[in-house]
Amino acid sequence: MEQLTTIGLNHYLTISAFLLGFGLFAVMTRKNAIVVLMGVELILNAANINFLAFSKYNGGMEGVMFALFIIVIAAAEAAIALAIVINIFKIYKSVDVSSIDSMKE
Amino acid sequence: MHSLIQLSIVVLLLPLLSFVILIFFNRRIPRRGDFIGVGILGTAFGISAYIFWTVIVQTYDPAFRIAWDFTWIDLGNVPGVGPLQIKMGVVIDNLTTIMLAMVTLISLLVHLYSTGYMAGDKNYGRYFAFLGIFTFSMLGIVLSDNLFSIYIFWELVGLSSYLLIGFFFEKDSAADAQKKAFLANRVGDIGMWLGILILYSQFHTFSFEQIYANLAAGNFGLSNGWLTAAGILLFMGCVGKSAQFPLHVWLPDAMEGPTPVSALIHAATMVAAGVYFVARIFVMLTPDALHVIAFIGACTAFMAATIAITQNDIKRVLAYSTVSQLGYMVLGLGVGAYSASLFHLVTHAFFKACLFLGSGAIIHAMHHEQDMRWMGGLRKHMPWTFATFTLATLALAGLPLTSGFLSKDAILAGAIGFAKVEGGGIFYLIPVLGFFSAMLTAFYMGRQIWLVFFGESRTHLKPADNHHQAHHAHDSHAAHADDHHTSHGVHEVSWNMRAPLVILAALSVFFVYSPDPLDGAKGWFMKMIPTPATVVGEANPQKGALLSGNVAPHLAGVVQTTEVAPPAVAAEHGVPGEAKGGHIYTDTRQAEIVHAGHAAHYTAIYISSIMVVLGICLALVVYVFRIIDPEKTASAIRPLYLFSLNKWYWDEIYEATFIKGSMLLARMLSWFDSNVVDGIVNGVATLARKFAFVNDGFDRHVVDGMVNFTAFAVNTTGAVLRKLQTGKVQTYVVMLMLVLFGYFVLYFTRLIY
Repeated sequence: MEQLTTIGLNHYLTISAFLLGFGLFAVMTRKNAIVVLMGVELILNAANINFLAFSKYNGGMEGVMFALFIIVIAAAEAAIALAIVINIFKIYKSVDVSSIDSMKE
Repeated sequence: MHSLIQLSIVVLLLPLLSFVILIFFNRRIPRRGDFIGVGILGTAFGISAYIFWTVIVQTYDPAFRIAWDFTWIDLGNVPGVGPLQIKMGVVIDNLTTIMLAMVTLISLLVHLYSTGYMAGDKNYGRYFAFLGIFTFSMLGIVLSDNLFSIYIFWELVGLSSYLLIGFFFEKDSAADAQKKAFLANRVGDIGMWLGILILYSQFHTFSFEQIYANLAAGNFGLSNGWLTAAGILLFMGCVGKSAQFPLHVWLPDAMEGPTPVSALIHAATMVAAGVYFVARIFVMLTPDALHVIAFIGACTAFMAATIAITQNDIKRVLAYSTVSQLGYMVLGLGVGAYSASLFHLVTHAFFKACLFLGSGAIIHAMHHEQDMRWMGGLRKHMPWTFATFTLATLALAGLPLTSGFLSKDAILAGAIGFAKVEGGGIFYLIPVLGFFSAMLTAFYMGRQIWLVFFGESRTHLKPADNHHQAHHAHDSHAAHADDHHTSHGVHEVSWNMRAPLVILAALSVFFVYSPDPLDGAKGWFMKMIPTPATVVGEANPQKGALLSGNVAPHLAGVVQTTEVAPPAVAAEHGVPGEAKGGHIYTDTRQAEIVHAGHAAHYTAIYISSIMVVLGICLALVVYVFRIIDPEKTASAIRPLYLFSLNKWYWDEIYEATFIKGSMLLARMLSWFDSNVVDGIVNGVATLARKFAFVNDGFDRHVVDGMVNFTAFAVNTTGAVLRKLQTGKVQTYVVMLMLVLFGYFVLYFTRLIY
């Protein structure tokens, strides 16, 4: 019961694992490129939670710094990714990732 | 170096100079350079005549001999052979001197004659060049002092003979004849070379003198049979060159050459070279070898005489007559009548050259008609030719007062003496054949004289169809070809063809050689050329050495050695009045033969005169008085007639045996070649192909298979993997996850176990 009552590291890790699972699920299954990007954000956030959780329980600041960087990079990535999605839309008139397979060649 | 040696070398080289000048430059010299040939031969004859004068007339010594040699090739000590030095040298003795003068004289006359006979021929200059090289080689044979150089010149005369027989090489018959002559001579020369090698293997020298000295000293290390074999093998060279049975077949065919060539080469000089060679090796011939030689000579003389009586071609009659006379000479050497044989060589050279040149004049005048059946009545048109031809004919037939009588009688006397000494009945066959041939000679020459010179011209009798063939066959130089074969066109030949006839005919009279018209032995010739003592006979140390293995100490073989003559023979030789009484031979057999031969002199004269008269009477009866019709006689004894007309079928026999045999052998070899050798080659090829086929299969299936399989595997893998590469990011992510998952599974599995 202690585990249920006291919020420990495992709770964080569990949350992050769920977030990762949802993120991955979104990335793997969704057809809309926007939703895929959202899945990616979820995965990044899952990683952030992990970093912060370990940082808290290790007592260092490295995890926090990492999380900060990841947030910044995630912002930049979101901008670039949206730009790519817009260009894809311009070319293919669609954002359905399942129909875009020109990387095959 | 003796001055005579120097002169003789000059004589030897002059004709070579003529050859070199004429063969290269004859087209740039006026008259194609014929005057150069004649002039050079004239000079050579002049020098030879001087040598003759010095040696025979001034010195007059039977034992005269000067020699000079130099080392030509020194091969040092050849392994397996021993010291090998080849020397070249010149020897001048009485025989050489006489031959030198004879060869250059006849060559000069033939050169002179040819300026008339060959005039207008398109290869006129080359003809004189060939005569030059022939004369050079012939003089080389005469002057050689060793077997090696004599062999070289022997082949050279063979070559010149080949070139001159085939001078009209555009005619197939001439081309065939030259090949036949060359091949027949090769057969003989192989034997000669083997004989030379037998002697060389024993003595390591080619020099005649050293070989005889060694033989006399008993240094011959093999059995007597080998010595006999060496003698017979050396004699084979003579058989080929002097056209003896069984290699006589080439000489009659050699008549395809120009007639002056027939006179020079195939009557007077080259064919006599064989006899000359046997005379040079005479002293080393064992009695057995001499028997072989005598029988071959007798067979040749008789056979050729029987053939000559039915031939129609004027030159062929003379050719067979030459073969027959050469048979006499060889017979003479075989029976030991050495001087007589060489005497006959010289006398025959002159009168037969005269006959051939005479026949050439006739052929020339008759516009290249050679068949005696269509001649006749030429006596009035060609008085000079008629007179000289008749004189030479009488000499050939051997009538008294001619040179031929002296020499032929001496040979026959020797043959009778030989038969007496040998004692056996079979040996009487030799003189009997000789006498019978003498009769036949008289007969066929009488026939020839009558057919050619007497009676009416029969030119018009010539069958028309035959006419053209024969005309073309004998149409040697077209410049003189004339379709009118009538006697109206026949006229005496010009002076340059007449002069040689007169000179040669003059040399066929007895007083040139002997003051006594009945006995040649009284003449200078037989005194100057005495029979040399054998080095291998009975009384010689050679035989004792061979039997006992001891080497007898003293050296026999000197011509006039006076020791160890058996008293009986020596006493007989003391009989006064014997021309050869001065010579006493150590060998009893030889001494007896010489003596018996001399005793048989008058017997021989009687028999041979009777035979000659019989022969001439027969010719008169048949052809002049026409008591016996030749046509009817011929048809009455048709098999014999055909036997003679077809030359004893020797050509056919050789055709059936040697030629067919070689063809068969060639076919067998060809079969072997095309089946066995080719079979092996083809078998190897087939095997290689089979191997290549297997290899190809291996390559195609295994190696290519591996390569193709790799390609296929890569292809297949690629095809599978291409399916994975969808180009959709989500698929990749799924795969990534799966791999990650797989890794975790693996990791945890390891962790657990």
